[in-house]
Amino acid sequence: MNDEKPYRKLETQALLQQIAFRHGMEAMAASEEGTLAWVSSGFPVEIPVAMNVFPTYPEQAGAIIGATKIGPEVCGFAEDLGYSQELCSYARASIGSTDRPDDVAMGALPKPQALLGCNNICGTILKWYDANSEQTGAPVFLLDTPPLEAEQKPHHRAYVKQGLERLIEFLAKTFNTTLEEDRFREVSDLSSRAIKLWTQSLKACQNKPSPLNCADRFLTMAPVVSSRGVEHCTEFYEVLLAEVEDRVKQGIGAIREEKIRLLWDNIPPWFILRFFNQLAAQGVVFPADTYTHAWSGAVEGTDTDSLLDGIADIYSNVYLNKNLDAKVDKMCQLIKDFDLDGFVMFSVRSCKRYSLGQLVSKEIVTERTGVPGVVIEGDMVDSRLFNEAQIQTRVDALLEMFV
Amino acid sequence: MTGKPFGIGLDVGSTTTKGVMVDSKGSIIATHLQGTGASAASAVAHVLESLFSTSGKTRDDCRIIGTGYGRNIVDIAYKTVTEITCHSVGVNTLNPDIRLLIDVGGQDSKVIKIGSNGRPEDFELNDKCSAGTGRFLEVMARVLEVSMDDLGPLALKSKSPCTISSTCTVFAESEVIGRIGSGDSPADIAAGVHLSMASKIGSLSKRVGVATPIGVTGGVALNPAFRYYLSDILKADLWVPEIPQLTGALGAAIIAMKDNLVS
Amino acid sequence: MSYPEVIEQSNQVLKALVDAGERVLGYIYPHPPHEIIIAHGLKPSLVRTNPSVVGAYEASLQTFSCSLTRNLFSQRVNNSFPQLAGIVFSGNTCDALQNVGDVWRKRFPKDNVFRLTYPVGDLGASSVDFLAMEIKAFSDELASLYGEEFSESSFREAIMLLDEIRNALQLLYCVRILHPSLISYNTLSSLVGEFLTAPTQEAADRIKMTWNEVLERIENMGQRNKVGQLRDSLLNHDLSDFETVIDTSGPRIAVIGGMIEPNTVAGLLENVHGISDTTLVLDMLSFGFKTVFTPPVGIEDDPYEESARSILGAHSEPTQEGLPKRITFLKDVLTRLSIHGLIVCEQSFCDPDEFESPSLERAAKEVGVPTVKLPLDSELSDRARIEGRIQTFLETIDDN
Repeated sequence: MNDEKPYRKLETQALLQQIAFRHGMEAMAASEEGTLAWVSSGFPVEIPVAMNVFPTYPEQAGAIIGATKIGPEVCGFAEDLGYSQELCSYARASIGSTDRPDDVAMGALPKPQALLGCNNICGTILKWYDANSEQTGAPVFLLDTPPLEAEQKPHHRAYVKQGLERLIEFLAKTFNTTLEEDRFREVSDLSSRAIKLWTQSLKACQNKPSPLNCADRFLTMAPVVSSRGVEHCTEFYEVLLAEVEDRVKQGIGAIREEKIRLLWDNIPPWFILRFFNQLAAQGVVFPADTYTHAWSGAVEGTDTDSLLDGIADIYSNVYLNKNLDAKVDKMCQLIKDFDLDGFVMFSVRSCKRYSLGQLVSKEIVTERTGVPGVVIEGDMVDSRLFNEAQIQTRVDALLEMFV
Repeated sequence: MTGKPFGIGLDVGSTTTKGVMVDSKGSIIATHLQGTGASAASAVAHVLESLFSTSGKTRDDCRIIGTGYGRNIVDIAYKTVTEITCHSVGVNTLNPDIRLLIDVGGQDSKVIKIGSNGRPEDFELNDKCSAGTGRFLEVMARVLEVSMDDLGPLALKSKSPCTISSTCTVFAESEVIGRIGSGDSPADIAAGVHLSMASKIGSLSKRVGVATPIGVTGGVALNPAFRYYLSDILKADLWVPEIPQLTGALGAAIIAMKDNLVS
Repeated sequence: MSYPEVIEQSNQVLKALVDAGERVLGYIYPHPPHEIIIAHGLKPSLVRTNPSVVGAYEASLQTFSCSLTRNLFSQRVNNSFPQLAGIVFSGNTCDALQNVGDVWRKRFPKDNVFRLTYPVGDLGASSVDFLAMEIKAFSDELASLYGEEFSESSFREAIMLLDEIRNALQLLYCVRILHPSLISYNTLSSLVGEFLTAPTQEAADRIKMTWNEVLERIENMGQRNKVGQLRDSLLNHDLSDFETVIDTSGPRIAVIGGMIEPNTVAGLLENVHGISDTTLVLDMLSFGFKTVFTPPVGIEDDPYEESARSILGAHSEPTQEGLPKRITFLKDVLTRLSIHGLIVCEQSFCDPDEFESPSLERAAKEVGVPTVKLPLDSELSDRARIEGRIQTFLETIDDN
């Protein structure tokens, strides 16, 4: 019994690896055929997918570079080109691996024909893709979704919709393709189904014990980020949901002995996902996090026009595109819905959009929910900016509050 | 301005103050090096005194240029030139072939591309933090409880250097403490420290563009482990002058003499 | 004038305005709708960083918030700002300003914090429409908060005032480029500083007076037309037709970058050994060149639309789409205006600056112009090194 790991591995992970492999192969083929686009995680991929443009994700590549522990080295390639070490490590990993793909074992992406960025996740995306564009010669398309103060106003939606129409023109011109309404509807429908299935899996973590831990969700979110709107993506989430529901039915938790339930805020440190497993040994599980709950809206619509309206709405309303109040509301809601005992905020030096405001929101969340939290600082890819001993002490201090 | 027969370069650095006196042919007449200490002005006075007493010359015989971070406090200097230009000129005097110069001093490091005329063509400096400077090694030597002179030889005994991933000195310090705690050998840790330092400098060099032959100057050039790892990272041999701390002052003195010829 | 003196002077001007019963509205991003603000009876004023501020942001912001926002936040915590009736944060320009605006509201709930959201996309009419609606909402907010409705007549007066200021400053910029001995960069940057402190009639008069003095000498030299041509070319973002012979006996340096004031640059250069008064011929900074070379607000259409069109007609910021255009323009400036060296300012933890600077450096190198990068923070904490970098850079240019 002592050899037993404190956490349980998902069976669906095998399928996940197959999907990731398949995605990589398809991206390579697309690059050769001239139909590959690099896309930001909050980009409405339903449109390029419906127009037969294949999307792949530099952020995911950054996560892989982080997870394979070559983050500092690859980020260093970008620093050699003059990019400051203070910049986003996803961007540095992307610029570095684009500059020296042969020196990056896993995570360098095949050459794109276009770069599609949406600034609903951060303002950095434009600058990052501009740099990639200079490197690869592929043109940048920016979908501008200005951050929302409150509800989306009509002129905001009209502006984003104009951007979407411009996107369709851009893709048509760049890839010599058209947007067919039937196909658009079909892709949007597949995307919605994948998102709904994924959301159900997330929601299942309200159960005690939680069927999924943080790291499980960070890994299984990959297809919904990279391939929503594609058939096999929807299938994957059917399989995942089945396993999750089975765990719930049998009362099996993601970790062996669930004692403390915490919320995770921000991108994870990809190079040290064992961080979560080590905490699992102390009985700590993370049934919810703001990262995988970042967007849950499914695109609805009956024709091209209404689908575009839906996209202009949903992609403007993602977590990172809203103000601090909305973020605090979301965290408080998650703490309540998932019956959490506290929270860990990872202050990611790379990501100003995600992290600035945490020092204030920490106070407000505690005030409103009555549960304690801790802020730890580090980075998601660049392990040079992560001090494990310091972080451990802080998290331990938080855990001692629950004794 | 009337010509004077001798030139003096005073390089006032954060750790040491260096002085070199040359004659009109550029030959070195006198040198002196000492700790800068709390008062750069008195260090300058001492260095000058030493140069005059060694050479038997007086202030009136010499044109003086100030360089280094304290260059502006050398009030008897007729002008200041940055240490980047001075190192470049100094190294060029000693070895005209050198195309890339790496100077690692107490509180900063520089990589200088030297043009065929001996002057800098392009350069890069470390950023504000002390990673990649002599200070970084000093802090690590203190943590490992060895002297600065012993740190390099200790590192060279290592067969498998530790990875010290933090580039921030403060973070790296706690990383090193952690390594000591987990029982890594002092030699492996010291090697890791040098490797981290060399890779930081290597990265700076790549920004300028690596060109050979490469020279290394500044106090840290005396450290054999640093030279070993840097040479490995840059995949090139490194040339080091006999007294690598003096090239800045030498360059300043040479420039003073050249100005002399012009005036 | 040293930068601390600039701040001191600016504070005095603002204090005098407040004492005289005026309301001062602070802005951070360099492209506020000046004319609209004035039309509500307010004086727009740049909220300046202060190099001597004592750091006091740590309870609210992390160290990787950009140095500009940290500096402003510390000033606010220390209560060292001049009396402001409100402060305008920009939305959608960069992540730091976006989030710090929210943090500010939470920490200082009694402050009147406005947010004006700008389009990043270069979508032509659609971007203008979006910004016009945002300005309209901002205008409504001003009216309801301060009880002073938008005044058509004040708006028209403001258009004329801003036009006078920008017009004279644009011409002075061009004189500096073509004949740097006729106006020092110190003088030019001080005048820009006055405009940023508050676009008052007094500031406009001083700027015009300087222009009139210079004008006479320019006319005597028979160069009035050339100056005008250059101004038009710069306003149109297109130098491809501009030809002239420039005296290049001394080194000619330009400076580019984001959130640093021309005054600060002037102050930095003053202490650099070996720099002459004619060395720095042009800044392409957000708070200098880009603010000055903004086209006038028209009077035909809806005021909000006209204001939006003017703002979007300025040279684009690194936070906006259009890097290839900026690169082309930079290359034209460097080659057609005979620039020998480019200083690239990079504000610490400023994403737009730090992302753009490698592209700027590559572009300059492509046209054979050497560059030096200055890593800056608002406290100029690394001043000695920065001056050393500039001095070395000038030494390399002199020699090569």
